[in-house]
Amino acid sequence: MEKAVALYAKKLTRLYESSGRGVSDVSFEVQPGEAFGLLGPNGSGKSTLLRILSTAIAPGSGIFRVGGIDALKEKQKARAKMGLMLDRPTHYGDLTGWANAYLFARSYGMEEGKAKSALAGLFDYFGLAEYKDEKVKTYSYGMGKKLALIEAMAHGPELLLLDEPSLGLDYTSRLSFQRKIRELSSAGAAVLLASNQVDEVEALCDQVAFLHRGKLVALGTPEDFISSLKGVRRIVARLHNPVEYSALKEVHGVTRVVPEGRDLVVHCAERSGIVADVVAGIGRCGGEIVNLTVERPNLEDVYLKLTGEALRDDEV
Amino acid sequence: MTRFNPPDAYWKKDVALFFSRRFALLIKVLYPIALIVPVAASDIPAQYAAAVIGIVAIMAGTFGAGESLTSDLNDGILVRVALTPLSPHRIAFEIMVVNAVLDFVQLLPALLIVYILHPAPLVWVLAATFGVLATLVTANCIGIFIANFTSSPADVLLYATAILAPLIYVSGFFRNTDPTGLLALLRGFVPFAYMNEALKVVFGLAARSTPFEVFVYPAIICALFVFGVCLTGPRLLSPRL
Repeated sequence: MEKAVALYAKKLTRLYESSGRGVSDVSFEVQPGEAFGLLGPNGSGKSTLLRILSTAIAPGSGIFRVGGIDALKEKQKARAKMGLMLDRPTHYGDLTGWANAYLFARSYGMEEGKAKSALAGLFDYFGLAEYKDEKVKTYSYGMGKKLALIEAMAHGPELLLLDEPSLGLDYTSRLSFQRKIRELSSAGAAVLLASNQVDEVEALCDQVAFLHRGKLVALGTPEDFISSLKGVRRIVARLHNPVEYSALKEVHGVTRVVPEGRDLVVHCAERSGIVADVVAGIGRCGGEIVNLTVERPNLEDVYLKLTGEALRDDEV
Repeated sequence: MTRFNPPDAYWKKDVALFFSRRFALLIKVLYPIALIVPVAASDIPAQYAAAVIGIVAIMAGTFGAGESLTSDLNDGILVRVALTPLSPHRIAFEIMVVNAVLDFVQLLPALLIVYILHPAPLVWVLAATFGVLATLVTANCIGIFIANFTSSPADVLLYATAILAPLIYVSGFFRNTDPTGLLALLRGFVPFAYMNEALKVVFGLAARSTPFEVFVYPAIICALFVFGVCLTGPRLLSPRL
């Protein structure tokens, strides 16, 4: 028998009366074993969509099914198939990390032995084993995030809904998380990943959907999206000192400038001499370049092309 | 404690938390003693001694459930729990029952001291104890009901006062001790009143109800309240947008 679509969403709409924002007419499918990325800036409707799909709030209209189950009519059955990490991680601070995770594992119907075994493996995997008996209120933000991931994964869900899962994780933990997602996908779990970490989405996801002002504006594979951007380049300049860089936008062909840590990321058209012009522009701004790379475009550039707006707010 | 920690059910989580905060637990047990025992040991009129115990029970039940729930709602943890496959009605039921029982555990030492200071027939001691439990169930139901409409602990205080003041009046704790007509009819539907009657007997006043009434009527009323509160589960556990 053919396995049901892991997540089927059709014309999901939910608009908040107070702001008029939300999501409108969103339709997509996620197959078993597929990692599906959801990209959009703050306010694009990602969180609303995840709240609907997690069954926390009901859509105004539309339907969605989880593993073939109508999640609006049979919420509890649908919830049993899902693993969730939404918004900021929340736990019972006066309970230990282990007690929190165990409570959730049992709430998802896991038997005692299986719960303990699955949790032991995940605590070990995410490097939380030595902190498992400490109260969660003593955990750092990153540790809380790892605990939330453990709680989402322990019961072996068919569908993982993850909102900014690796935000706040250190580099090693982020790699561990990505490895685990690949592992779960290979084992047949579907993953819906809402994130603004474009590198991560690009690296992990088989399909990507772009949300813009509550509407799904494009759906496809990361490769197809990126290869559609011919003639676009990213110049990443690592600076010795922070500078006021707004004048860089005056350089012919530069479409956008975004600071990322010590790097200045310049999005520009591919034309002869543009790298030299950008370098000169940074010099005029007073920037001292310590490293420079020219990269192919990424999903941020795709979003910019599709919507005319930036995926992140920190551009000039 | 190993039966409760790590918890494998929502109510066990509350038990584990209750016993894990040692200092808070000590305060929780001591404050009813500090409020009730001096009153019980004094020569204050029986009616007021009974009323003090009643007020302590009502406050502990209503504010305890309401405030801890709104705190969990604001924290987001309750919504996260609600997204597990557990039935929201069951979660609401567990919240109500475990809070009422834990409140009862807090009050029990103070009650035992009262019974030692004021020996009364066993049936009335049991009736008073059951009356306190019924009051705690009712008060917790009110607290949970209020948490359906607000996520602010301050609002819980306000709404609870607005709901409890007329109920306390109807129950005849301080005034309205001999109601007639509609007030007498209404009193029959408030479990606080039965507890108050039983406690008055413990403190030496003549019985105006039978122990049977104190056991049966509040039990029926509480069952209806609990049923009603369980129906609010989906709303109670939904995110406040």
